[in-house]
Order: sequence, then C-alpha cells, then structure tokens
Amino acid sequence: MYRYDEFDRTFLAERVAEFREQTRRFLAGELSEDEFRPLRLRNGLYIQTHAPMLRVAIPYGLLDSRQLRMLAHIARRYDRGYGHFSTRQNIQYNWPKLAEVPDILADLATVDMHAIQTSGNCIRNVTADHLAGVAPDELEDPRPWCELIRQWSTLHPEFYYLPRKFKIAVTGAATDRAASEVHDIGLHLVRGADGIGGFEVLVGGGLGRMPIIGKQIRSFLPQQELLAYLEAILRVYNRHGRRDNIHRARIKVLVKALGVPEFTRQVEAEYSASRASAPRLETAQIERMRAFFAPPAYRSLADEDPTRAGVSAAFIAWYRHNTRAHKVSGYRVVLVSLKKHGEPPGDMFDPQMDALADLADRYSFGQIRVTHDQNLVLADVAQTELAALHAALEPLGLATPNIGTLTDMICCPGLDFCSLANAGSIDVARQIHEQFSDFDYLYDLGEVQLKMSGCMNACGHHHVGHIGILGVDKRGEEWYQITLGGSASGQVALGEVIGPSVAKDRVAATIARILDVYIERRDNSDESFLQTVRRLGVAPFRERVYAADTAAA
Amino acid sequence: MRQILRQHELGRDPWRYPGEAGDGPQLLTLAELLVTAPSLPATAGVYIGPTDEVLLLAGVIDTVVLVVVHFENAGDGRGFSQAQVLRQQLRFAGELRACGALKRDHLYLLARCGFNAFDLDPGEDRAAALAQLQRFSVAYQRASGTLVQPRLRTQA
Repeated sequence: MYRYDEFDRTFLAERVAEFREQTRRFLAGELSEDEFRPLRLRNGLYIQTHAPMLRVAIPYGLLDSRQLRMLAHIARRYDRGYGHFSTRQNIQYNWPKLAEVPDILADLATVDMHAIQTSGNCIRNVTADHLAGVAPDELEDPRPWCELIRQWSTLHPEFYYLPRKFKIAVTGAATDRAASEVHDIGLHLVRGADGIGGFEVLVGGGLGRMPIIGKQIRSFLPQQELLAYLEAILRVYNRHGRRDNIHRARIKVLVKALGVPEFTRQVEAEYSASRASAPRLETAQIERMRAFFAPPAYRSLADEDPTRAGVSAAFIAWYRHNTRAHKVSGYRVVLVSLKKHGEPPGDMFDPQMDALADLADRYSFGQIRVTHDQNLVLADVAQTELAALHAALEPLGLATPNIGTLTDMICCPGLDFCSLANAGSIDVARQIHEQFSDFDYLYDLGEVQLKMSGCMNACGHHHVGHIGILGVDKRGEEWYQITLGGSASGQVALGEVIGPSVAKDRVAATIARILDVYIERRDNSDESFLQTVRRLGVAPFRERVYAADTAAA
Repeated sequence: MRQILRQHELGRDPWRYPGEAGDGPQLLTLAELLVTAPSLPATAGVYIGPTDEVLLLAGVIDTVVLVVVHFENAGDGRGFSQAQVLRQQLRFAGELRACGALKRDHLYLLARCGFNAFDLDPGEDRAAALAQLQRFSVAYQRASGTLVQPRLRTQA
C-alpha cells in the first residue's frame, strides 16, 4: 500500500495545525458558526443530532493494522468505544467533542490518516473496488490511480469550493464492485487498440433526490492524461454548475441541462485549451505509484478444498458465504461481516478492531479493506489457514455467515444520529434481523441486496438495492417506501417504487411478502431474486404487499 | 480609500470599483471593457463577476493591468477557476485581486491560483492573514501562483 514520506507528513502536520487554529478561533468567538462550518466540514466534522460527527477518510478503503488499531484507540479514547463504517469506505465517530477534534486529527496523523475533504462541497475520498489487486476478473489494479487522484485532489487550490460535493470511483475489473456508475465520475480501467492502458470516463451518476446512472463521455482516455482530463471536467463544473439551489447543484444536473453531447464538447474544449498547463502524469510517477501496490510475498501454495470432511458445518457455511476466489492459487479472500444480527450494520467496537488488526498481521499481510457495503476484508488469506481464522473471528462476532444474503444489508445511521434523517434505519435493521434469523431460509433465497436510507439523500444507496427501503416522514411519523429491482453492478438499474409507503412496524412483514412471491414464482432454484423481479416486473409483488389488509398506508 | 494586501504589505488603492464615485481610475465591468476596447488606455482595470467569461478578455488582455475578481460568498469557488484561466491560458501577468466575501482562510488557495492581491474584509487581522498565506510549505499540485510557492514532490 501507499507509504507516506516526509513530504506527506509535512503536509498533514501543517493541515492539523491549521485546523487546530481554526477550532481555537471558533471556540474563542472569533469565527461565527456560519464561518466555521465550511472549515470544519472540509476536516470531516459535522454537527449532528447528539454531538459532532467526525468522518475519517480511509482512502479507497485500504487500511493497515496499525491504522486499524488507531481507529480503535480513537473510539476508546474520544468516543463511546465504536465506529461506523460508511458506504464510502470511511469510518464515522458519533460522539467526539468539538474541542478534542484537533487532538483526534493529530493522533490520526501519527499513522498517516486524516479527515480531509470527507465532507463539504469539494472532491471527496476516492473509492475503489474492495477486491482490487486480488480479484480474478481484474484487468488492472485501480489503487495506484486512486492514490494519484487522492494526492491531486487534496487541497486542490481550484476545486475546493465546488457547487456541491464530488465523488470519484475507480474500478479495474469486469464486475463493478465500486458502484462507479452512480458517482459524479466513474473511471473504468480499459485497454485501447494496441493494448495501451486507459480509462473509460463516466460522468454525472448519482443517487440522492435525482438518482441517475453516469453517462460515458470518453470511451478511451490514455492513462497519463487522467489528471488533465479530470481538471477539465472539474473546471467546467466549477464554473457552470448551479449554485443557486443546493438540490440542483450536483454535476448530474449540469450534464442533464446541457445534454451529454454539449457537456462533452465543453469538457473536450477545456481539455484542449489547458493542454499546456494541465498536469500530465510521467511514466516514472505512475511506476513509482504502482510499486507501492505490488503484490505481497505470496507463498507457493496449491488450491485445496477447505470444506473437506471433518470440518464443522459452521465453517462450511462461513466458507461458502464469507470467502471469495483469489487470483493467486492457494489463497482466498475473506469477508468479515459487520452485519451480526441485532447489531447496527457497519458498526464495530474497539476490541474487535484491535483483534482484527492482530488477525490481519497474522493471516493477511497486515492489511484490511473496507467495502462499500459496510463489511471488512482480509484479502490474502492462505486456504490452509482459513479454519484457524474462522475460529478466531467467530468469538469476536465477526464471522456471521451472511455475506450477500438479505441480512447483509446496507444501512445509514438514520434518526439515531443523523440530523437529516426521517427514519430510524437502525431500528428497522434490527426488525429485519429478527424476522429473518433462519440462515437456511436466507441461503435458500440466495443473493438479495437490501439497501436502506433514512432520507432522500440516499447514503444507504436504496435506489440500487435489489430491495430498497427509504425512510419518509409523514406528519411526523416514520414511513418506509419500498423499491424493487435496483442494482449497482452489472446491468446497473434504479429500483421501482412498488406503491404507498408502509408503517415502521410493517417493514419486515412487507419484505417477507415480497420474498414469498419470489419463492413461489422463481422459475427454478437458480433464478436469483433480481432476475425474477426483472422477469416479472413489480406488479405481482405489489399485489401481494397491498392485498387486503393493513399493510398499506 | 481601501487598503489592499499585496505581497507582504498593505497598499493604498487608487482604483474606483464600479458604482464608486471620486477620483482615481475607474474599474470597468467586463461588458464596459469590451464595448470600449478600441479606445482603451494601455492601463485598464477590469472588474469580473462570478458568471463572467474571462476568455472574452483574450484580445485585450495586453491593455489590462488590474483584474479584480469578485466573490459573492465564502463558498463561491468560481473565481478560483477564472484566476487559473487568466494566468494559464491568457498569460495575464498583472495584478490579480480577489475581493468580496473572503476570510484569511481563503488566502492560501487564492494565492495558489494566481491571485497576488487581496481586498480583505476590513475587520480581518492582517498579520494573521499573512501567516495563513504561508500555512503550507508543500503542495500536491502545480498551480498558477508565484506569491506562495510551496515545495512540490517533484522538487523533493
């Protein structure tokens, strides 16, 4: 992974000092709340329902064990012993004290971490495929590009006060595990005519109030042109994006207003005009960055079948659901479930973080990744050590064998913490965990992606859930709108609303009815929930959900 | 008379902004400047609003000695791009001044984009503003300014 040098550490120390001074001015009354807000936001600090919320950046979801131990330390020392991993591969702390935030940032800086640009109208933390570098279907590792983007976007002098937040995702694999088509910019590593490396560039995807899939504006951009082209896109957006209405300020609105051909023309014109001054990546720069992400020292191992006779049923279930193929023989990718039934999805306690850091050191070259669906990954585990790892994860509550199932749901913090929310997403998650506690039933359902957001801002990606749940406020009461058929990868699609929203205590029962229809109507046991919804449309599900009773509002 | 922070000192400013009465040369709006272009003095000053297209200055930039860019509010980032275009594409080498809703916290990035003069809120602490200008000794990107010159990694 990328290693900070004296240059990066100098920058980070100066940034911490800057924020310490800004916080001092605010606490001394020299800055008003309005003046302090944009400054604190660009250091990850929100003011939420109960307390400030600090969002710490985990660039493209990659951590080493000492960084994870530091996240545990922050949770213990400054918060209430836990953190919440978000859909943008970051971690959020819900109970820090404002006056202590500069100290938290200084502690983070000792392990080369920060909270820079994790909120505010600027370029946010770049995200990537959580299986980068290990996925068998990968063309090229996106992480060197992510780190180049991270550095370029950090305090970029021109793009620090954009019309609205700006999110970039990069993927280099056949399967899009980074939801790149619902980002402001989605970058796909591709090969051009002579095998030359480049990017397909998508712009204007996003969720929120106006969900939309990104549009291709370049089928092939040579790799060394990446930053020059990003600058052209950002400059067009910075100058012409709307600033009069916060709900119309994302780049997707500009792309829609201009139309894709005209938007593309403007970007290309800017790209040409700025050719002389725009940053061009040198081969040496690219190679230097690639070297940081060279494969670890894998042993020469043969593939084996870890589910052979003699291992426990619990191990077999975990192996089947929580591990994935690795491109190197003898290795396996392990997904660490943060979706234990009864716990808020994505939450992790400080002893779990410490213990997982130790396990990463022992079994996975000291690295941990965060997925955009709020789980963690040990990416490089020898198959011979899977049983030992499973035995260690289980007592930590980190081996719930539910990855890819209904209860591996995405969930935002909701009303419990967020000042924007309409709905108590965590309560509803608990309700769903209680209703669907039978793992045999979950396994029979197969892959079902349930994604839940507490409000229109769609932090929980409900539009692209196979089942999406959106909290809405009706005269001060919590109601839930259900969508079906969304998908964040493959054939990307936005879910369709099935009908009127349902009362809070009916959410799990409503999902049960939807799943009944699937089980009755799937054409064989191989047809997935999403395939069945696509084949049948939402009508039969709607009929069942609203059939003569009190479920509907 | 307003005082302008330049380099390391405050200077008195003879220019009149649009709508201001009194002595001293008048800053023209972009529209006024383009209309009077044929008869411009060789020392014109222009006042740029957030939606102005600075590329329209291409034919007259050699007659301009001062560009004042107005920021409507503290989150209005359009002037940063206007400055980069002025410096990088139009090769403007004169005084590039930021005015409007700006705090000391903006100065470093403004300077990086090519601004070399600042019409700050009169309440802002000048010494603190100058300190903020020198806040960062390293930067990850090349940019336009010469007022601050943080070390880039390629120079390391």
